[in-house]
Amino acid sequence: MDTKHVIDLLPDYLDQVLDTVQKQKVEAHLKECSACSKELEQLKNLFDAFANEETAIPSNQVEANFLELLEQEKREVAKVVPLNSKEPSTKSGWGNFLKVAASIAMLIGSFMLGRHLQERESHVEIAALQDEGLELRQTAMLSLMENKSASRRIQGVNYIDEFGNPDETIVKALTDRMLHDENTNVRMASAEALEKFTASEIVKDAFIKALKVEKDPGIQISIIQTLVRIQEKKAVMPLKELMQQDETQPFVKEQIESLLPSII
Amino acid sequence: MKEQTDEIIMAMVAKGNLDLLKILFKRHHLHVYNFLYKMCRDKMLSEDVTQEVFYNIMRYRASYKNGKFVSWMFTIARNSLRKHLKKAQVYHEDLDDISYRLIENEEPKEDYTHLQKALDKLNSTDKELLVLNRFQEIKYAELANIVGSTEGAVKTKVSRALKKLKVIYFENL
Repeated sequence: MDTKHVIDLLPDYLDQVLDTVQKQKVEAHLKECSACSKELEQLKNLFDAFANEETAIPSNQVEANFLELLEQEKREVAKVVPLNSKEPSTKSGWGNFLKVAASIAMLIGSFMLGRHLQERESHVEIAALQDEGLELRQTAMLSLMENKSASRRIQGVNYIDEFGNPDETIVKALTDRMLHDENTNVRMASAEALEKFTASEIVKDAFIKALKVEKDPGIQISIIQTLVRIQEKKAVMPLKELMQQDETQPFVKEQIESLLPSII
Repeated sequence: MKEQTDEIIMAMVAKGNLDLLKILFKRHHLHVYNFLYKMCRDKMLSEDVTQEVFYNIMRYRASYKNGKFVSWMFTIARNSLRKHLKKAQVYHEDLDDISYRLIENEEPKEDYTHLQKALDKLNSTDKELLVLNRFQEIKYAELANIVGSTEGAVKTKVSRALKKLKVIYFENL
């Protein structure tokens, strides 16, 4: 029996895009492995949900407006042709220009109007929230990251996108998630989020520390790539150690071996 | 004409046969609309942007370079949507929607499916990849074209996003 799990191949297996050899390998493995079978079951469930999602239908206005714009464009094209003929008339040229200008003005006008109306609606709420905006966001993110549910924590971690320049509390909370969260996906999400802030010493140190404690090969690879990208010299020793350890996955070792020389 | 591929039709549109654009509109406007609607959850905005996408296809028909039509179309769609969302953000003076979300989350909208709610919890990059890959059945190679990446990288990203989604989806089921 092939003991290597086939989880990564399952989406392609369900989509029926695997070649015959891989397909047989997956099927043989599924017969023996209940973990992968359960995984397949869940994935199938999820894909069914995608397939059963209803198609939303826009109002007829979309098509009507498009056809209108198309007719307009056709008229414009038709008008441009005489311009190229032997007797170009400056008058019709100006007419075209004015029409184009008018239609642009109308487009912008209706857009501004729509924007104005929309803005008026939300203005009152915004004013109330404006003062506490930043603080509230930060509190929201920090409390989400402490949530019992892993998905909530991932959601919290992903809120980092909302901060251009996060302060130390947030960075610390993120490194904490990356180093100590029990859920692999949360650790992965935190590592991805932190990739953008490698300028900070706290973040660099956290990555190096993670190299020593992280056991998941996927996250290991992600961390290794980040450290190599930022050319962190302090990472060289821990990387070598990781390569020496018996429990390190062979492909992780290969990755280190190929990338290590590029840290100069 | 109905049997022709998108690419052949679009090439003829580019040469000036504007009426053929109606065929492409009929074939694809629901795809564009549903992509946008899944991404922004705003019917009005999705309708406006759908219209804008086909308007831009018409305006910039000459710049169509015989690549996969659907990739080109979705590239235009995501750029238009991003532009609109950015504008909205500037207008809201950088107050992002978290505070809103916090309030809205108290009462999740009943008509959203469980899958939609789970997708909404992903970050927008992950969500976009899954919406394009699974709803619109865009293959990795084309997806790489749309988001400006390589096929291998996109495949890895989709697979990671799928794993995240699976955790969220089954945890709250």
